[in-house]
Amino acid sequence: MKPMTKENAIDIDNSLHINNEMTKPDVTSMKIPADQVKIKAEDVRVRYGDKEALFGINLDIPKSKVTSFIGPSGCGKSTFLRCINRMNDTIDNCSVSGQIHMDGVDILSKQVDTVLLRAKIGMVFQKPNPFPKSIYDNVAYGPRLHGLATSKSEMDEVVETSLEKVGLLKEVKDRLLEPGTGLSGGQQQRLCIARAIAVDPEILLMDEPCSALDPIATAKIEELIDELRGSYTIVIVTHSMQQAARVSQQTAFFHLGNLVEYGETEQIFTSPEDERTKGYITGRFG
Amino acid sequence: MTELKESMKKARARLKKRHAAETRFKAFGIGALAFAFLCVVMLFTSIISNGYTGFRQTYVQIDVFMDEGIIDPKGDRDEKALRSADYAKIVRQSLYDKFPEVTARRDKRTLANLVSSSAVYDLRDMVLANQAVIGQNLSVWVMASDEVDMLVKDVFKRDEPENTRPITNMEIAWVEKLEAENRVETRFNTNFFVAGDSREPEQAGIRGALIGSALTMLVTLALSFPLGVMAAIYLEEFAPKNKFTHIVEVNINNLAAVPSIVFGLLGLAIFLNLFGMPRSAPIAGGFVLALMTLPTIIIASRAALKSIPPSIMEAAIGVGASKMQAVFHHQLPLALPGILTGTIIGMAQALGETAPLLMIGMVAFIADVPGTPFDPATVLPVQVYLWADSPERAFVEKTSAAIMVLLGFLITMNALAVLLRKKLERRW
Repeated sequence: MKPMTKENAIDIDNSLHINNEMTKPDVTSMKIPADQVKIKAEDVRVRYGDKEALFGINLDIPKSKVTSFIGPSGCGKSTFLRCINRMNDTIDNCSVSGQIHMDGVDILSKQVDTVLLRAKIGMVFQKPNPFPKSIYDNVAYGPRLHGLATSKSEMDEVVETSLEKVGLLKEVKDRLLEPGTGLSGGQQQRLCIARAIAVDPEILLMDEPCSALDPIATAKIEELIDELRGSYTIVIVTHSMQQAARVSQQTAFFHLGNLVEYGETEQIFTSPEDERTKGYITGRFG
Repeated sequence: MTELKESMKKARARLKKRHAAETRFKAFGIGALAFAFLCVVMLFTSIISNGYTGFRQTYVQIDVFMDEGIIDPKGDRDEKALRSADYAKIVRQSLYDKFPEVTARRDKRTLANLVSSSAVYDLRDMVLANQAVIGQNLSVWVMASDEVDMLVKDVFKRDEPENTRPITNMEIAWVEKLEAENRVETRFNTNFFVAGDSREPEQAGIRGALIGSALTMLVTLALSFPLGVMAAIYLEEFAPKNKFTHIVEVNINNLAAVPSIVFGLLGLAIFLNLFGMPRSAPIAGGFVLALMTLPTIIIASRAALKSIPPSIMEAAIGVGASKMQAVFHHQLPLALPGILTGTIIGMAQALGETAPLLMIGMVAFIADVPGTPFDPATVLPVQVYLWADSPERAFVEKTSAAIMVLLGFLITMNALAVLLRKKLERRW
């Protein structure tokens, strides 16, 4: 089978008639000062067995900001997100090449210990997935693994501040020992965020964190993302363009395994330079 | 319009057919259930009606004179002499005294067999426990012989013609005389639960088989549970998915279908001949049954592990757990109810297994109750097999009684599986 390239990817969308070479500078055109860059991806390629999923992604993600990845299903945005904390390592036939620098270290290299890496890069998943244990144990699990608290009182503090940060403490204060699976969907997702930040990560990856939630719970999560922005670098994958517009400062548009356009959120949504981006955000395809 | 009506008609006719098919299917289902239920009822009725008398035993009261001349002719109360004295003579004498009209040599021998040979040991134990009984007249209850037992339990019918029943009119007359004096009664058969196997039906008990089964199961569990669960975890979570692991998987599934007697032959060749394990011992039996149980446990454990949503693993790995930590902290505890259910079902299967144990000599007649897994022993299902093969009529009820005990154990184990699953599942 002929590998899918940028060229024939455009053929599929030939109704848009775009010259690929014209759009390419846009991808790299967004300038982020070097001292602001938290994650620098260089030519990241992913393949599942014979099928290529990402065709060389180059992307700088700034520190302490929210960056959102948008794009139609199967465009590779989640795949790229999962490269950042090496979650793809757990998939058998998945191979990743290229480099992702975080604070100057290539996290894709074999020398990097994934366990420590994942403590630095927390992840929140599409479906709330609290452990079938108590709320307390859910939050305490990460710190316990990494030995972040030496005493019971210290652990209590870690758990409380984490729950406080996600605004859950008030709601669950009296039932910390009840199972986390007994909470509502939105609360469960906030519990998962609390679990992720309990190990004090630098980066939070969110893979469509609101797709299983109702609008009110979604609003709460979005508010929370906004609050957390100052302390963490957040990368969020979303299907909702409104959400991307509301919560993120940068937006990257992925299409068929390519990064098509990356820029300030406002610019992407008001004056996209690539026809495909325009087509997607105006709802012409996707 | 007419066309539409036509198709409606057809649809209605089809609908009728469909309903009929559904009713028919339900009726078949109910029929199958009813048949299965009937079979179970028949099985249990047959076993219980045959076996409940096995839990009772007839005792006869005899008057014995503890003749010092027989027990301790030297009079020095030497324990060795007391142990080996001819107590049978005392029992015989007591019966001859009871029925002085019996004089013929042959009849006298028959008379002596009215009570079980265990009466001799009863008297010996009495003397060894308390030497003061020597020289006294005592009235003791001893076990009746199996034939008398059968007569009293109405298995041998008194109104049948003499030549078609295994007990003579003369013997019946003796028993009836004893019954008239209230010297015959049936009691709960404690002997059945405390004694090992015996050639005499009235003395045979299942303790040896029970302990043998327990020891064998212990060995089986200790081997197959950790091995099976570890293998399942490795295959499910860690093993690379390549040709080799695929072959291993296929073979495990095939092993579950291998006839159990083949495992017995394997055990004979490997464990007994190659490793020199003791013959007829629970240790060898446990090894063989562990081989047989392993595929069941591995398959059940893998299914249980597979049923845990991958999001839990992802969550654990996402906060920085290693794969092993994620498995042992989250996946294994969640899969445990399923794993335990599979294990208990495998163990129940092993508990009821006979064929592979025949191959490694656990079918031998062993009267002693085993103390360790290295002693010769037999197990419950083999005991059932052995008794079912014995010619004496009294072994029929023993067989059924042993089956009842075995079934009791199996039901208890299955109930335990259900209970454990319920209890562990409630936690999340």
